[in-house]
Amino acid sequence: MDPGIALSLRDVRFRHRNAKGWALDDVSLQVRRGQFVSVLGANGAGKSTLCMLVNGLVPHTVPGDLEGVVEVFGADVAEDSVAKLSSRVGMVFQEPESQLFCMTVEEEVAFGPENLGVPADEIKGRVEWALELVGMAGYNDRSPFSLSGGQKQRVAIAAALSMRPDILVLDEPAYALDPIGRVELYKVLRELKEKHGMTVLLAERDAEEASLYSDHIVLMENGKVAAQGPPKEVLADPERLVSLGISPPQMSEVASLLRSRLRSPDIDFTRVEDAERTIIERVLPAGRGAAR
Amino acid sequence: MIPAADSRAADDKIISIHDLKFIYPGGVQALSGVSLDIRRGEYVAIVGGNGSGKTTLAKNIMGLLRPTSGTVLVNGTAVAGQRIASIAHIVGYAFQNPDHQLFCSTVWEEVRFGPQNLGYPADDMDARVEHALRSMDLMSVKARPPFSLTLSERRRVSIASVIAMDPEVLIFDEPTTGLDMRESEALMASIARLNSEGKTVILITHDMKLVAKHAKRVVVMSEGKVILDSDPAGVFSDLEVLLASKLMPPPVVRLAYRLSTRGVPRDVLSPEELVLRIMMARGDFR
Amino acid sequence: MTGFVDLYTEGDTVLHRMDPRVKIFAVLMLTLLILMISSLVHLLILLAFIALLVALGRAPFSKVSLALRFVLRVMIMIVILWPIFDPSGTPVLATLGPVRITEPGVMRGITNAVRICCLATVWYVLMFTTPQRDLVRALVKLGVRFDFGLTLSIALRFLPTFSATVESIKDAQRARGMEFDKGSPLRRSRNYISVLIPTIISALRTADTLSLALQSRAYGARRHRTYLRELKMRASDGVALAVVVAAFVMPAVAKFFLKVPV
Repeated sequence: MDPGIALSLRDVRFRHRNAKGWALDDVSLQVRRGQFVSVLGANGAGKSTLCMLVNGLVPHTVPGDLEGVVEVFGADVAEDSVAKLSSRVGMVFQEPESQLFCMTVEEEVAFGPENLGVPADEIKGRVEWALELVGMAGYNDRSPFSLSGGQKQRVAIAAALSMRPDILVLDEPAYALDPIGRVELYKVLRELKEKHGMTVLLAERDAEEASLYSDHIVLMENGKVAAQGPPKEVLADPERLVSLGISPPQMSEVASLLRSRLRSPDIDFTRVEDAERTIIERVLPAGRGAAR
Repeated sequence: MIPAADSRAADDKIISIHDLKFIYPGGVQALSGVSLDIRRGEYVAIVGGNGSGKTTLAKNIMGLLRPTSGTVLVNGTAVAGQRIASIAHIVGYAFQNPDHQLFCSTVWEEVRFGPQNLGYPADDMDARVEHALRSMDLMSVKARPPFSLTLSERRRVSIASVIAMDPEVLIFDEPTTGLDMRESEALMASIARLNSEGKTVILITHDMKLVAKHAKRVVVMSEGKVILDSDPAGVFSDLEVLLASKLMPPPVVRLAYRLSTRGVPRDVLSPEELVLRIMMARGDFR
Repeated sequence: MTGFVDLYTEGDTVLHRMDPRVKIFAVLMLTLLILMISSLVHLLILLAFIALLVALGRAPFSKVSLALRFVLRVMIMIVILWPIFDPSGTPVLATLGPVRITEPGVMRGITNAVRICCLATVWYVLMFTTPQRDLVRALVKLGVRFDFGLTLSIALRFLPTFSATVESIKDAQRARGMEFDKGSPLRRSRNYISVLIPTIISALRTADTLSLALQSRAYGARRHRTYLRELKMRASDGVALAVVVAAFVMPAVAKFFLKVPV
């Protein structure tokens, strides 16, 4: 086993109990330690099932037929209990409201390590560390109910981080957030990746943020992997994303349009700043009536 | 651009709000002096971050909340003295969470619930329900229990159940939450069709891509006030206002703003438009 | 937010600092005491003592009045109704048709009203000065299973959410022209079903996610879990405990062994 591989799915198929079709059909993918991998797909593409497979909720709690092999750091998911896997796999769900269940933010973040039998002193340190990391330091005694959607999701991330997981799995965490909540959330994910080298598996419907942060992107359709690879490759064809029901990143659309208009295949950017530079340096001066 | 204050005939205004203030029982001031007119047949997006007051405003139009001060006129009559059921003849409100509404054992019964409450005649009830189901593309699931449907279908059932009451004004509260691109585009197309058939549409949202694509008039709210009222291009060219109201303009708008110093006009709403403008600034379309 | 009020108010008084286990024990003892005492004078003395506790816990006036408004309504009802249904003894104060009002009946009515007031206030003091999480934690420490404590705390935590959901559902149905208090009984029951069913469905959907979230946070991973904040008895808690026991034992001995009327 390669210790650099955090998560490995080989020829995985899963069918929910009593369901006709396969929710996941012949899925193979790998997440390396420290990688940020995004799984993009329309509703019903199999994203949630895939996420729950990683911490064992599928098939242990959500029953059905599982074929193929799912390994988290070399351990077979099918053989471990969810509670055991949860110390290695941190999980964040869509709904901010129903995944927080404690009276205070502090209890929420302490809940996981308490269940794992971590000594009180260490839990205290972990709680402070996790809250700091998601920008919620000082909110210890607040009720999760009183927080904004973005704050709730950040507390949910902290509650997963305090278990010191090896991989963080997020199932459409921005699902119910307003634009500011979204920005707050992705800022935290970016820091986790850049400053802490966290291994992340993210499921999303919208490719906008995934295009900025991912090392590897998996496109899904009807339970199958439609394409996967580095963002540059996968996002190069916005039309393809649209055909899969995925909203493409606007900068990829602009880049793709400019490529075909100017017949220069090497125009490529995902960030607004890069787009600005490329257009000012390469596109605008090239014409006859360049701006003064 | 549509002027905010309208000088045309008064009966042209289906909704007229004057200096509306609303304070919740707990003491939170959600609206602090909103004045707004909406004309028959308009398509207005009300945007703003959470807590900006947009839902409180909509609930005041529906009569679910009563003004602390100021007036809300619907079709020329003050909402204040009316029963919600009589306002429901004119204003329909599709709530964000369809699960807060659906309770019948079939989609058909669900859609019939509203018009039945309003006492509409029984002889054209079937036609009414069928029309509503067709407009939301739901005929194929009419006999199914609403709970067994997907989120996108449940949302459409809840909208159909409002359409069946045949109100002139339709308020949609974050209708695309949780929907994927295809589902939200289909829904937005249905809403556009309702508007073209003469319905006045009020769309409450914080999805700025949606606003750029569909709205004809945008009302930006922040801290209980209307801070901007203009067409989408006008709103998006005012980046400061958007950021102040906790809204994130779409990337293409941010890029256009950065390129505006290089002779590219700012008023773009889509990647296609931006590229067109860039090509023009290049001089390719002289 | 409507419907649900958390009575707890933050503070740093003697009562706030007291171990919640001692507080729960004290409240149980006081409850027994209140039920045991039958003399109105003694009950009034006890009420004065409990009022002192309210002051000691610095409960804000707004919450006290909110709590008392409810108690007052119950007290008035008892004072009026008790003599009507308990006409034993003499002298008879008034006769209205078949209804006889006697002096002992009136006295018993007043006594029971004061007793109810004592009981309610004692429990209010506990809730004014103890966060819900500490109550739950104390119960678990006193031997209640953690699962049960967690269930209780989740129930308390979700009360405001639940109440907001019900309000939103009512609004959604009102917007569909439904009027709760109009129409035939059949129509009305249907109206209530239109709130009940979405409420149940929402609760079930929430419960579903909740159970996945609980498992994902290692719920049940080990037989023995640790606690970030352990409850610790301090010397002052011991003193409080001694006072409470003495306050209960003395009148009990007086009443049952010395046969002194209390």
